[in-house]
Amino acid sequence: MLDLKYIRNFSIVAHIDHGKSTLADRFLQLTGTVDQRELTEQMLDDMALERARGITIKARAVTMHYEHQGQMYELNLIDTPGHVDFHYEVSRSLACCEGALLLVDAFQGVEAQTVANAYAAMEHNLEILPVVNKIDLTHARTDEVCEEIEQSLGFDAADVLRCSAKSGAGVDQVLAAVIDRIPPPEGDLRERLQAMVFDSHYDEYRGAITYIRVINGSIRKGQKIKFLRTGSVHDVLELGHFRPRRQPSQQLQAGQVGYLICNIKELGHVHIGDTVSTVEDSALPLPGYEEPKRMVYCGLYPSDGENFEELREALQKLAINDPSFEFQPETSDALGFGFRCGFLGLLHMEIIQQRLEQESDVDLVQTAPNVTYEVDTQDGRRLTIHTPQDVPDAGEIEEFRQPVVRVSFVLPGDYIGPVMKLCEDRRGKYVRTEYLSPARAMVVYDLALAEVIYDLYDKLKSATKGFGTMDYELLGYFPADLVRLDILVGGNRVDALSIICDRADADRRGRAVVKKLRKEINRHMFEVALQAAIGSRVIARETISALRKNVTAKCYGGDISRKKKLWAKQREGKKRMKSVGSVDIPQKAFLAVLESGGEK
Amino acid sequence: MKTEPDPLKPAAVVDESPNRSPDFSPHLPPRATYIHVPFCAHRCGYCNFTLVADREDLIPAYLHALETELQLLEQPRPVDTLYIGGGTPTWLDVDSLQQLLQIVLHWFPPRRQAEFTVEANPADVTPPRMALLTEAGVTRLSLGAQSFDPTKLRTLERDHTAGDIQRAVQLVRQHGQQIALDLIFAVPSETQSVWQDDLDRAVRSGASHLSTYGLTYEKGTPFWTRRYKGQLRAAAEEDELAMYLTAIDTLTAAGFEHYEISNFARPGCKSRHNEVYWTGGGYYAAGPGAARLVGNLRQSNHRSTTTYIRRLASGDSPVAEAERLSAEELARERLLFGLRRLEGIDEAQFPQQTGFQIDELAGPAVRHYVDQGLLARQDGRLRLTRQGLVVSDSIWPDLL
Ligand SMILES: Nc1nc2c(ncn2[C@@H]2O[C@H](COP(=O)(O)OP(=O)(O)OP(=O)(O)O)[C@@H](O)[C@H]2O)c(=O)[nH]1
Ligand code: SF4
Ligand SMILES: [Mg+2]
Repeated sequence: MLDLKYIRNFSIVAHIDHGKSTLADRFLQLTGTVDQRELTEQMLDDMALERARGITIKARAVTMHYEHQGQMYELNLIDTPGHVDFHYEVSRSLACCEGALLLVDAFQGVEAQTVANAYAAMEHNLEILPVVNKIDLTHARTDEVCEEIEQSLGFDAADVLRCSAKSGAGVDQVLAAVIDRIPPPEGDLRERLQAMVFDSHYDEYRGAITYIRVINGSIRKGQKIKFLRTGSVHDVLELGHFRPRRQPSQQLQAGQVGYLICNIKELGHVHIGDTVSTVEDSALPLPGYEEPKRMVYCGLYPSDGENFEELREALQKLAINDPSFEFQPETSDALGFGFRCGFLGLLHMEIIQQRLEQESDVDLVQTAPNVTYEVDTQDGRRLTIHTPQDVPDAGEIEEFRQPVVRVSFVLPGDYIGPVMKLCEDRRGKYVRTEYLSPARAMVVYDLALAEVIYDLYDKLKSATKGFGTMDYELLGYFPADLVRLDILVGGNRVDALSIICDRADADRRGRAVVKKLRKEINRHMFEVALQAAIGSRVIARETISALRKNVTAKCYGGDISRKKKLWAKQREGKKRMKSVGSVDIPQKAFLAVLESGGEK
Repeated sequence: MKTEPDPLKPAAVVDESPNRSPDFSPHLPPRATYIHVPFCAHRCGYCNFTLVADREDLIPAYLHALETELQLLEQPRPVDTLYIGGGTPTWLDVDSLQQLLQIVLHWFPPRRQAEFTVEANPADVTPPRMALLTEAGVTRLSLGAQSFDPTKLRTLERDHTAGDIQRAVQLVRQHGQQIALDLIFAVPSETQSVWQDDLDRAVRSGASHLSTYGLTYEKGTPFWTRRYKGQLRAAAEEDELAMYLTAIDTLTAAGFEHYEISNFARPGCKSRHNEVYWTGGGYYAAGPGAARLVGNLRQSNHRSTTTYIRRLASGDSPVAEAERLSAEELARERLLFGLRRLEGIDEAQFPQQTGFQIDELAGPAVRHYVDQGLLARQDGRLRLTRQGLVVSDSIWPDLL
């Protein structure tokens, strides 16, 4: 039995790109967990999409062994993603740890997610070790950044560790501090088994792989266990540690982190946040996690209606490995049968879509993303609206509410003005400004989530020359003067093109959308009218003139194969279009409603 | 030849659909040949053809490469139609032209009544060249006239004058060949009356065959770039359409038959060679960028003249792209390209020639366009209507 004294469980958290995964590489190297030969950069980012994008998407756990002052320790590390969309992964990871390394880039300093993650770790009562990383950078401002950490987060600048995950400098001190300063887990080996399910993924051959942190007691290979939430009982076929690949062992005990394989082929059985215990005389369930909050929804439809079932299967497969993504069947007059899908944010949406495209053969039509709204109707019903199609007629609405988030911007003081303008233009409510250091400020606004997800991030980057960062958390749903803006193509309302927006923006958005559609929809043999309307009131109109002439003059021997290729391409393009009336609408056009109508 | 299938050997007849009995001409050895001559005095701003300008130094190497390519035929192939195009074949000096004709005639001896066309730039049509061409048995000259209007010719960057066209026509007539003229319309700032004038003068010239092409802006040409930068204004669609319809009306009224989208001929004067392309026949081809259809194998040579020469010099295949066509693909091609001919397709003959019914290839699309009035089914033929003619490129993808 391993004494709990010799176990440390910790996460690495930071703003995106501050070097978490690179520091994890150094730990793997220093502890000899991974052979020098096998080590690659950001080794734990092993999903193809993570490697392609150079960011961490999924939190990863690893068990390492390290000798410190003559004593062998077991260190369980969880590398977390930095992007705001995946904050949920961070909080799940924190719940399995006693401490966290809070990394701060020596050049960039404290950023929005640094603050957000520091607070999250504090909420979990973790021992936080602030670390300035990238001290090797020529432009490193290490001392200043230590000051920023002290001012903004209240740590003593003198306690801040310094390292370079790239060169390895200072990494051994960080590891020593993990052992010296982070407390060992508390737990009782003799208690009944109580383990927290903090993640899972699905393996085609072995079924669900359940990731657990054992809180009390121990769990052995061959034992029978019960998932308390579902009450389902299983035999433990295999268990072990992540090193970082799965390495089977005989048992996991209180304080340890590892995995279980129980030949679970039914997905409903594994719930993240569930508690694993013994079958008889079970322990009490652990508090578990809050449900992830889906911030954006969009419709995903197969281009070819025949592929509906295939798409369902592909979505199911993804949902198994990513519980923060959800989907439900929906129908659209324009697009046929498809799914309304909920995501943590736009990056999450983009990633899911990319995985769908890579992992299945289904060609997709995506509708523009929207947030969730609430409507109270005149007859006293409360509706949750995930798609503009579900908005009742204006006359039936008593109150229309939208999600509002509190946004924290961290930026050099010089850019406060432009950022405040951005927020004011979006009807933001000013909350406060704080100085993190003489030159860096945190500006806080309450803004409609819809405004935040569409283009605020890009606008922030351009308003601050790339120096501004932002983080947000949901405050709740608040009433607003919202309308459903409909788009008519050739006189037919295209449900998949409707949007919900503030009444004050409707004219501008409407004009922008029909203008964009004019560019996206090819000319037909007849004139096509494009209209934006609120109810029956048309607020913008464009016309696509009829195609009068389309004929290739020359077509001789040498032209035949080129022409055929061209026509084949056109036909493929057309097949993927959706017809409304007799107008062919290309897939890309369904995103035209994202067009905001220029600067505001 | 290293990897490519031998381009010029008659392909074995492969019938991939044993239940059908296609009597399809590509399965017979071709009786048509195209030879590409990639030389021009300079490159006109709108032209994206396979050619080199100001590289007369390459002519001997080209002739040598052509000969090497043709040796792959192993034995001469008598043909019914022979077409030497370019580029500008007549840009060759008299000696080189003579050599070219010798090589081509050796490998492709014309059969009786053969049609033998050479493309020419009006400015190059000189008595010595005409003597040579006549002696070689050329029956038809296709003159790149493009226009009789000086401004228009200048815009097109052509190096000949209206006078050159007249002189050339005279000289060709004296030698007894038929004359085909190419004309371009919808040139920037061209008016309807300039175009009408061109048509009238073309009719009066005595040409028996006219091709009219709307100016296109091809990627990679100076015209494309200039239009992109706003320095050239393409004609409005309405004007281009009006000019096209004017051509059809003027020329048919003058006794020409409008027999293909952009081709008009006096009775008995259609281009038999080009008809081979549209009716799904097979054809040999040689020279840079040239495309052939032999059996069910379609190949195109490399478009770069220097690469073409280099490949042949080092014993490599000049072929850049090759595709084997299934019986169904051949039938579809025949449907699509056959519909470019205004008389359309004989619905009863089509299955005999291809092994496929039209409806089985594209039934719903054909019915849709018949309903829309763009195609017509009449007297056992399927053909484009006048309305379909002008938007025909929107139809083809659906028939493919
Ligand atoms: N110069 C220098 N570069 C570093 C250091 N640590 C990380 N980097 C670089 O910073 C970039 C981001 O590193 P990652 O380790 O992927 O950052 P991360 O925090 O895991 O990023 P996310 O998981 O996407 O939030 C990479 O290009 C690293 O090579 C360091 O100490 N010095
Ligand atoms: S003469 Fe004809 S082939 Fe030569 S460059 Fe001009 S248009 Fe092109
Ligand atoms: Mg990372």
